[in-house]
Amino acid sequence: MTVMTASFAAATITELPPSARFSLRTTDPIAASASLGLELPTKVGARAAAGARTALCLGPDEWLIEAPEAETPALIATFSNLEARLPLSAVEVSDREITLALSGPAVLDLLATGCPRDLAKLAVGSGCRTLFDTVQVVLTREAEDRFHLTVWRSFAPHLRALLDIAARELAAGL
Amino acid sequence: MTSYRLANRGRVDHRKPVRFTFDGKRYQGLAGDTLASALLANGVHLMGRSFKYHRPRGVVSAGSDEPNALMGTSRGLGRFEPNTRATIQELRDGLEATSQNRWPSLAFDVGSINDRMGSLFSAGFYYKTFMWPRAFWDRVYEPVIRNAAGLGISPTEPDADRYASRFAHTDVLVIGAGPAGLAAALAASRSGASVMLVDETAEPGGSLLSEPSVTIEGKLAWDWLSATLAELAALPNVTIMTRTTAIGYYHQNLVGLAQRLTDHLATPPADAPRERMWKVRAGQVVLAQGALEKPLAFDGNDRPGVMLAGAAQTYLHRYGVKVGDRPAIVTTHDSAWFAAFDLAEAGAKPAVIVDIRASVDPVLTVRARSVGIEVLLGHSVTGTSGRLRVKSLRVSRLEKGGAGTARKIACDSVLMCGGWTPSLHLFSHTKGSLTWDIELKAFLPGKKTEAVHIAGAGRGLWGIAAVLDDGANAGTEAARAAGRNVTAQSYAVTVDRTGSGVTVKELPTDRDPAAAKAFIDFQNDVTAKDIRLAVREGMRSIEHVKRYTTNGMATDQGKMSNINGLMIAADALGKQPPQVGLTTFRPPYTPTTFGTFAGYHQDATFEATRKTPIDPWAQAHGAAFEPVALWRRAWYFPKAGEDMHAAVARECRAARSSVGIFDASTLGKIEVVGPDAVTFMERMYTNPWAKLGVGRCRYGLLLGEDGFIRDDGVIGRLAQDRFHVTTTTGGAARVLNMMEDYLQTEWPDLKVWLTSTTEQWAVIALQGPNARKLIEPFVEGLDISEAAFPHMSAATCTVAGFRARLFRVSFTGELGFEINVPARHGRALWEKLWQAGQSYGITPYGTETMHVLRAEKGYIIVGQDTDGTLTPDDAGLNWAIGKAKPDFVGKRSLSRPDMVARGRKQLVGLLTDDPKVVLQEGAQIVADPNEPKPMTMLGHVTSSYWSEALGRSIAMAVVADGRARDGETLHIPMPDRTITARVVKSTVFYDPEGTRLSA
Repeated sequence: MTVMTASFAAATITELPPSARFSLRTTDPIAASASLGLELPTKVGARAAAGARTALCLGPDEWLIEAPEAETPALIATFSNLEARLPLSAVEVSDREITLALSGPAVLDLLATGCPRDLAKLAVGSGCRTLFDTVQVVLTREAEDRFHLTVWRSFAPHLRALLDIAARELAAGL
Repeated sequence: MTSYRLANRGRVDHRKPVRFTFDGKRYQGLAGDTLASALLANGVHLMGRSFKYHRPRGVVSAGSDEPNALMGTSRGLGRFEPNTRATIQELRDGLEATSQNRWPSLAFDVGSINDRMGSLFSAGFYYKTFMWPRAFWDRVYEPVIRNAAGLGISPTEPDADRYASRFAHTDVLVIGAGPAGLAAALAASRSGASVMLVDETAEPGGSLLSEPSVTIEGKLAWDWLSATLAELAALPNVTIMTRTTAIGYYHQNLVGLAQRLTDHLATPPADAPRERMWKVRAGQVVLAQGALEKPLAFDGNDRPGVMLAGAAQTYLHRYGVKVGDRPAIVTTHDSAWFAAFDLAEAGAKPAVIVDIRASVDPVLTVRARSVGIEVLLGHSVTGTSGRLRVKSLRVSRLEKGGAGTARKIACDSVLMCGGWTPSLHLFSHTKGSLTWDIELKAFLPGKKTEAVHIAGAGRGLWGIAAVLDDGANAGTEAARAAGRNVTAQSYAVTVDRTGSGVTVKELPTDRDPAAAKAFIDFQNDVTAKDIRLAVREGMRSIEHVKRYTTNGMATDQGKMSNINGLMIAADALGKQPPQVGLTTFRPPYTPTTFGTFAGYHQDATFEATRKTPIDPWAQAHGAAFEPVALWRRAWYFPKAGEDMHAAVARECRAARSSVGIFDASTLGKIEVVGPDAVTFMERMYTNPWAKLGVGRCRYGLLLGEDGFIRDDGVIGRLAQDRFHVTTTTGGAARVLNMMEDYLQTEWPDLKVWLTSTTEQWAVIALQGPNARKLIEPFVEGLDISEAAFPHMSAATCTVAGFRARLFRVSFTGELGFEINVPARHGRALWEKLWQAGQSYGITPYGTETMHVLRAEKGYIIVGQDTDGTLTPDDAGLNWAIGKAKPDFVGKRSLSRPDMVARGRKQLVGLLTDDPKVVLQEGAQIVADPNEPKPMTMLGHVTSSYWSEALGRSIAMAVVADGRARDGETLHIPMPDRTITARVVKSTVFYDPEGTRLSA
């Protein structure tokens, strides 16, 4: 996987290598938590982490589970085990989306070129499903000046083009 | 330095000359000038020709309400802008400006013949004169009128500039950085609230920039302004944006701001956008937009040199420009007296102050006479003279009921003031109510619908002290409403030139009022007598008067003309102004470029173009593409010398005789998972699912509640509680939304979840008699023999080392497989199959061949063969309905009388009598081609192709009672001929027994 980075001083945009991603749906997060090795947060937007494995709550019964790619078989096994016991849906979406890391002192301005949400208020370690331009994305705040933007694969070039324009605009300083 | 530029005055930089041209002539201005102030400094008042009468016009205002000084400005190819307001455009080195609406030149214009024929062009003239013959309107009248009237010329080349957009969030947004806005921003920001302060001009300060003698808190206005801006700039919670116009105020305090970024720069930085649209969500909004000065309506009030008194004051103080040596002042408000005093102090010799009022504050008259200005109280102005520049003023004493004997006063400019109109535009956008203030004769903001505070002259206050205190109050209230704590400050102000005035209709004249050209709307050339004519002809509401006369309908949206027009209409109707009404203001507040609205949606980023992982291969192999929803899909793969027809015929032959490879990745995919998955499927789709075995597939048909076909696709059962649903490419999002809608609102009890997996999988279809032979060596962990993996099987396995979902399905009628692999591996798998397939002459095919192959088999395309009005029976798909099922979406509607009535259009096949003729899709079908028009149309052709396999054309069509017409000959009238075709009730043209599916 090629990692493409564009840096325009105020903001850096990097495409991240693939990771294991599952969309988990269940009405019984407590029961699912034990098998996953992390406590599924129940507040929409909250994210829990255990080691490199994270769970971002995207809806009342919806979580995005993310882990390093090597954990894919283990997660598949865990979920198929869970599905046998619990009313639950686990669907692999590792290849559905692409994640761009956005960072730099002007990262909030960069995101404000396309996202209508007030992201200054998004706490580090939390996330949200929102829009960038006309496209649905999942944003997580990894640090004060670093966000991950996850978007469906075929929309990624469009968003990347917009972000590159915006980054150049920020660098131009007007 | 010209004689009109005053050294040591203004906020322009006298050490920085700026060169520009106007109509090709070179001029020099100063840094800080607007195009208008620079022209005035050069003694140029004539800046344009009017819209309808082509009358010579000069600049009237010093702001965004300018109706006359509209020019073309350019900085090269693709960067020409018509109708630039010279009062807003800042001077930049090398600026090229051209006047508009004149030929051959600004000083001599042929079109001004319209002016002398003015009596022919009164209000409603177009409606009355150009009615007949009707056909003349499109071909003759309208083009001629459009040529004669109108403003600047639209550029035809693509816009070479880039535009930007940005979202912002703030506790308090203050609109207008005059004294009220500054005081509001100070108060709110001191509370710690986040504050955005925006102003449409290049510099904050508003009226303070034109009022330097006032002192605030012991400081001269401009010193106080610097100190205030420094304080605001030092606060981290404050953002000040100049050159930023609040153009629209939308629901829930969303305000659109158009920011001009580069138009003032001689050399803009690379990558900088020209303008930016801000979409600001504000907790609280403070409107401090101020007031707009009204002109007075008198004959000849539009000659170059006639302008607003406040504008002259602005040109003097802000730009250091004297608009004339011998101005005459005509007013109904005290404010113009101060403009006269300031001009006198700057060295001009005001000829006269004509005040319509019979008496004014004696302080004013005493001061005027002390500086040698003649004062005429209780006088009217009844005319002006001068062709390209005003030369004299005609004044008459007001006597009971009219104007007395006239007298001529020489002058080189006329400064008029008819009072001030609070600027209500943005407040109006919120649908806030307005109340009529009898005292002020003005509309003021009434009931609010948003979290908004209105401060200063915008709510009828006058004087610097009053608006500062009011602004501070508004800022305090806004901060408190935003949950902050702060106390309002009161400002100590001296030399505050307060005053008052009256609002009048057109000025009385001793001459024939019908001959007077007393302009109300300068931009649309509407005069006072036009308004009266409209009333005489029966217009009663201001909305009708507006449309009949076009008063206030120009791009300035009546900023100068609305209230004057209303006063005259009310007078003519004998009613109070609020009974006649005020027209609605709509966004944008000032003309805004299309580019600013488009933002980043330009060229490559106009909209998202979705591409599959295999798209780069198709591109490299010369595919022609077609858009399908937001996707671009390979349409066909022409070889050298092939046209579309030849390429498609070759691709069809390959798929039928050996093997074709097709990128089906765009198919919508939804994973339906959970213990209640099968229950959900039973309810959503018409087909039965309960008995579908794991590892089996079935064609699924989806209806709307109305019983009409919405979508279809092959659905595989991967486990007892897991379905892999496919949808049409264009229907993917719609189907998922519909499913979620039912799940969340109708069946929240079902334990089943939906996940879009469209983009998780790349899908490669291999179709043709050699498909199995090709794929077999790649498949691990699965026996794909005919016996073990028959048509309509599904399984997970490994293909070429990639985890895969393999489907034995066919949309071609041939033996076929669809291989789903994780999207990132799609292209690698494609290349492997491509390599291995060379020995079979593997042929990539596109959507066109896919359409032909499926049509030969009579498979429908939802949205092409159906149009949202076809039931399963209409489409011949009754077999897809689970007859024993108690319910499914749309079931009830299928038994409604009209849904089972005779005469419905049914999908049938059409075979042209001449097998070489391919019908046109969309063509209408009739029974009797000799029937007089309008003919009875039985239906239309939905799909039509050349079938390479059959060696003839085939078509599908929806025809009234189509199946009962089996064998009947119908007619398809075309512009050049009528085609005959035979109806076949089955749409399966090729291999009707389906033997090829199981080869």
